[in-house]
Amino acid sequence: MADLFPTTVVGSWPRPSWLLAELKRKNRGEISYDEFSSVADEAVLLAVKYQEDAGIDIITDGEQRRDNFYSFVADKLDGLKLMTVAEVMDYVEDKSRYEQMLRALDVPAFAIKSPVAVGPIKKKRSIALDEMQFLRRHTRKQIKIPLPGPYMLTRASWIDPVSRYAYWDREELATEYVRLLREEITQLRDGGASFIQLDEPTLTEIVYGQASKQTFMCAAIFSKVDPKEELEFATELINRTVKGLSGVKLGVHVCRGNWSRKEESLLKGDYGPLIPYFQEMKVDQLVLEFATQRAGELSVFADVSSFKELGLGVVNPRTSEVENSEQIVSKVEEAIRYFDPEKIYLNPDCGFGTFAESPVNTSSTAFQKLEVMVKAAEKLRAKYA
Amino acid sequence: MAEATLNGLNLERLKEIVKEVASQPEKAEELNVWRARVRWLGGFRGRAYVRDHTFIIDEPSDLAGVDTAPNAVEYVLSALGGCLTVGFILNATKNNVKIDDLEVSLEGRIDNILTFLGLSDQGHPGYREIKAKLYVRSPADPKTIQDIWSKTLETSPVGNTLSRNVKIVPEVSVVD
Repeated sequence: MADLFPTTVVGSWPRPSWLLAELKRKNRGEISYDEFSSVADEAVLLAVKYQEDAGIDIITDGEQRRDNFYSFVADKLDGLKLMTVAEVMDYVEDKSRYEQMLRALDVPAFAIKSPVAVGPIKKKRSIALDEMQFLRRHTRKQIKIPLPGPYMLTRASWIDPVSRYAYWDREELATEYVRLLREEITQLRDGGASFIQLDEPTLTEIVYGQASKQTFMCAAIFSKVDPKEELEFATELINRTVKGLSGVKLGVHVCRGNWSRKEESLLKGDYGPLIPYFQEMKVDQLVLEFATQRAGELSVFADVSSFKELGLGVVNPRTSEVENSEQIVSKVEEAIRYFDPEKIYLNPDCGFGTFAESPVNTSSTAFQKLEVMVKAAEKLRAKYA
Repeated sequence: MAEATLNGLNLERLKEIVKEVASQPEKAEELNVWRARVRWLGGFRGRAYVRDHTFIIDEPSDLAGVDTAPNAVEYVLSALGGCLTVGFILNATKNNVKIDDLEVSLEGRIDNILTFLGLSDQGHPGYREIKAKLYVRSPADPKTIQDIWSKTLETSPVGNTLSRNVKIVPEVSVVD
């Protein structure tokens, strides 16, 4: 692998139609997870091929086995039940916030599902070790495994009062996720993963969600809490998850939603309010979207010294237009003003198929975007080597 | 042998009901008349009595209510949503179309709420427009779904009540 400007992806790849058909069958209970997974093997090979052909240095399995980046854990853990927003609304008092979200997203309450903690969380099968093991057998590239972060999981699955049957409070549930994720990260590292990315997209919603009509396409509704306390809670969970772990690169991914191609329906706001918390996070890399203008300017990092690595979002996964390599080079050179070139990785802003049934791009366009990203990295390496 | 069902409806029973209403004018007439009574509970609250059911009607706090229940215009929207839901399922079932999930999202815009509050004589305090969006998950093709939706709108009792001029016959009785 080249030393400078390694290229990678954030996670998901658009699923082929035949895989989506099998996913529906699995969700209807017509086939088992193992039966579905053996079909998904073929889709993973396609996702791998696209990434390898584009010349990506650190690849994922395209999250082909997952219905989305977090609710797939319902297949992996006992004690979680995939509940629709319609079901969740039967329990929560604050129904009007869910209604507000559904209207903002223009979706029905039956379409959005979240893994809700309804009993003690126990591992039914590994969270991502099966994904990693298959990928390890089929690529010589370095492997990145995205995992839903401990805050994201806690936030999505704690529904009061349903979750209280199993846990005293949200903190107790979070502690269970921290334990499970630590165990999983250790196994993934030992199995050969070189990069583990904790997905914590909703951190931006804590900052910008309450004043905005935009939201994330998940049942993880922002709660009426003090944003400062919530960000401290999230930071603490991330740090407890990664504490003492070494031998694998650990990253945190933050974005502003990736469920629609309508930019105006996604959150907007720079990273400024999150930087103090980023500085506290004991991870190696921050994987941040920056291709979209909604993410604000890189200059918010101007006065931040000795910062960690940056996984710089240089292509927008939601557009049909393919960026050109000069645009990407220029974005990276802007980042070089605030980050050491040796600490910059190139990646898309987010996945190309975060939600299985509503990918934000086609495989063909996604491939071209990766190709141009690799081309830009080559130009940068020639200049900065 | 188990009786055939579709969309949670017993198909034989549904057929029987349709046949019965079609063949018995008095039965149809019975279904032409619906009744409700609303009793004032103080403040802006009221309780509706409908057959063996009751429900509360209130106003939100920003309209001086205590927000213990939906208000009357919200019930109108809900009534339309309920009617379209029933109608869609009836028409789908009659056409042997399986429905996995269905929701109707409604939003009504009052022409001028100030007229209700006596602050304006411009426009009127009724709904000027109601948007009704159907979300449906079904194995049927989009054309079939669209046809069922059109039929549903065309035959909706509440939809027709709202879209046509319904004659309201007022009367008052002062009780000793």
